[in-house]
Amino acid sequence: MKKFILKIILFSLPVWAMIFSIEISLRNIPNDYSYKKKYLDKHAAEIETLIFGSSHSFRGINPAFFSGKAFNASHVSQSLNYDYEIFKKYQDKFEKLKTIVLLISYSSLYGKLETGVESWRVKNYVIYYGINTPKSITDYSEFLSNKLNINKKRLVAYYKLHESNITCTTLGWGGMGRKSGNEKDLIETGKTAAKRHTKNIHSEKYQTIFNNNVSILHSIIKWSQARNIKILFFTPPAFHTYREHINIEQLNTTIETINTIVSNNNNCMYINFFDDPNFIAKDFYDADHLSETGAEKLSKLINYKIDEWK
Amino acid sequence: MLFNSIDFAIFLPIVFILYWFVTNKSLKAQNVLLLAASYFFYACWDWRFLFLLMFSTLLDYFTGLKMQDATNKSNKKFWFWLSVIVNLGFLGVFKYYNFFAESFAEAIAHVGLKINPWTLNVILPVGISFYTFHGLSYVIDIYKGKIKAERNFVDYAVFVSFFPLLVAGPIERATHLLPQIKKERTFDYTKAVDGLRQILWGLFKKIVIADCCAEYANQIFNNSADYSGSTLVLGAVFFTFQIYGDFSGYSDIALGTARLFGIELLRNFAFPYFSRDIAEFWRRWHISLSSWFRDYLYIPLGGSKGGTWMKVRNTFIIFIVSGFWHGANWTFIVWGALNALYFLPLLLTNSNRNNLEIVRVGGKPFIFNELPKILLTFSLTVFAWIFFRAENISHALSYISGIFSKSVFSLPSIRPYYLILLIALFMLVEWLGRKQQYALAEFGLRWKRPFRYAMYYAIIVAIFWFAGKEQQFIYFQF
Repeated sequence: MKKFILKIILFSLPVWAMIFSIEISLRNIPNDYSYKKKYLDKHAAEIETLIFGSSHSFRGINPAFFSGKAFNASHVSQSLNYDYEIFKKYQDKFEKLKTIVLLISYSSLYGKLETGVESWRVKNYVIYYGINTPKSITDYSEFLSNKLNINKKRLVAYYKLHESNITCTTLGWGGMGRKSGNEKDLIETGKTAAKRHTKNIHSEKYQTIFNNNVSILHSIIKWSQARNIKILFFTPPAFHTYREHINIEQLNTTIETINTIVSNNNNCMYINFFDDPNFIAKDFYDADHLSETGAEKLSKLINYKIDEWK
Repeated sequence: MLFNSIDFAIFLPIVFILYWFVTNKSLKAQNVLLLAASYFFYACWDWRFLFLLMFSTLLDYFTGLKMQDATNKSNKKFWFWLSVIVNLGFLGVFKYYNFFAESFAEAIAHVGLKINPWTLNVILPVGISFYTFHGLSYVIDIYKGKIKAERNFVDYAVFVSFFPLLVAGPIERATHLLPQIKKERTFDYTKAVDGLRQILWGLFKKIVIADCCAEYANQIFNNSADYSGSTLVLGAVFFTFQIYGDFSGYSDIALGTARLFGIELLRNFAFPYFSRDIAEFWRRWHISLSSWFRDYLYIPLGGSKGGTWMKVRNTFIIFIVSGFWHGANWTFIVWGALNALYFLPLLLTNSNRNNLEIVRVGGKPFIFNELPKILLTFSLTVFAWIFFRAENISHALSYISGIFSKSVFSLPSIRPYYLILLIALFMLVEWLGRKQQYALAEFGLRWKRPFRYAMYYAIIVAIFWFAGKEQQFIYFQF
């Protein structure tokens, strides 16, 4: 038995050495999450407008076009529970915060990072933000959250090719250099994205997620009311190819829920850009994400609304 | 908890250490530990269904004792049928109720009557088909006097719930497993190493072969209308390797894990894709289920003792029931019936037991005689898997009609060369190791240490290379 245990230990030593060296090397690569955490640690007290949400706001709202000091704390597939976790982590540091811009897209109220295909991103919140809501042991590890070939690409890109892993601007916006997509891409992505975002909203699972998300919204509103902070909910523009493939009941439930919340809370406002005719094909990178020009347009519009609201 | 998860990678060494270092002095303590570990393993999936497993175990335990102690035949019969009806009743409710209710409503609709069937909104308890069959084999064997009822509840519960086989088999027999549970186990270095090697090979099959094939098979099957005939053929071939890698990979991990605890489980796969006819395929694929149906359904029905008509009837019954065992969908029934049709010529010509030994090594006779037979059997199997994988019958038929079109001669639009190369390498290793219990054993036993270790490390790197978030095993849904 002792021989067996000893041999296993000896045999697995190179494997453990490989795992630990890759884990450490990966954690040392600066990325969007570690950057945003550092920024919030340092500048939370100065921020006047804070933007939350998934890729629709990460790509779609550029704080550079805001009149006050704004920061985009959103990221790809960041669901409301992670918006809330980040918010909770810094809530006592937001001394000058006046407005929270919160994304309510077609899938926001039915989304939860842990349950989707992007669940591997949970580790970014655990490792870099220090948010302790992991579902699985793999959420504690860079190495275990991705395939080795993906990790290898990241290591080569950073250590050999000296490419940065940070994709956002200093103010947290992640839509740089995203040109408008061609017509074929817009048709194709419209179908696939709508399919991906459409949930079985009557199932027990999505009803629970919906209720949790609504309760998160109420918690943020309650906190904001006590500090006289305004919340601007917005639904981002979507190309017609996306709008044509969605489940209208899911969209209507989302809009009705937000409208009810806004009518009951005087510090809240809702703007629906979903089918805004001002956004044309060249404003879209794909059917549900804005291009750089589209992001500029949306950012300016939201900033205008915030200024007008003041 | 999945075999291919980090949770299991932590769970297994803990149970192993407790088993051999803490409870090693008492067989009773070892069995209690195995039972507790097995229940914990099952509860990790959904603790609520643990009560169902416990109930099923208690039912078969008590009915077994009652049958054993019955003073007359009718009393024995009562307890036997009680167990069979309740066991099959649970299986029927959880697995088949909705299918029957909806099928009935559809049939009624054909004669102009419209009813809204009351369906159950329940999830299928993982492993229910497997542990139900464990229990059934036990009570049938007692009823027939083949075995005596087990009086030690813990021993019996370990037989039903032993975690390596709990959720997807192999479907064990009391005659094979219970004596091992009751016998004192001593640590065997060679067996433990062999167990680890089999686990490694199982993980490779699941993570590298099955999960990579699944990516393309799912893409092609889920969007079959968009693809050419040649791509659809490729999709069916990918699914063929997906299901083999997935299920035989699971079985390898189960067998290897059990061996670490000094327990030998029934072999479930014996290189089925090298079969020379469909009868041989069914002796090599999911062996524990095939033999279960042979012993508890085919033979009681008369087996092949009667006339031609009886043989044909019995063959169709076991293949259709076997198909239906996999799931409540007409696709599984057609898959079973199709295999029965494949089997029929062999049965009628009395050639279903021609190929009992593993296919022999190379040479001219192999190229001209056995290779074409292997390729034909493989093609028939690929075709049948289309029904197994399809969402419904119309999906399967449209998939097949897509194959039989001019576009089958075009170049497939999806060409993952790396995966085709991986499958080719995998099949080469399987071919070279086909005389062993599992392919990797060939290298573990014959290669010198540096080459052997190099191969193990290469397999480990390949596993990490392709491992993402753990993927469910296909047979968990059955």
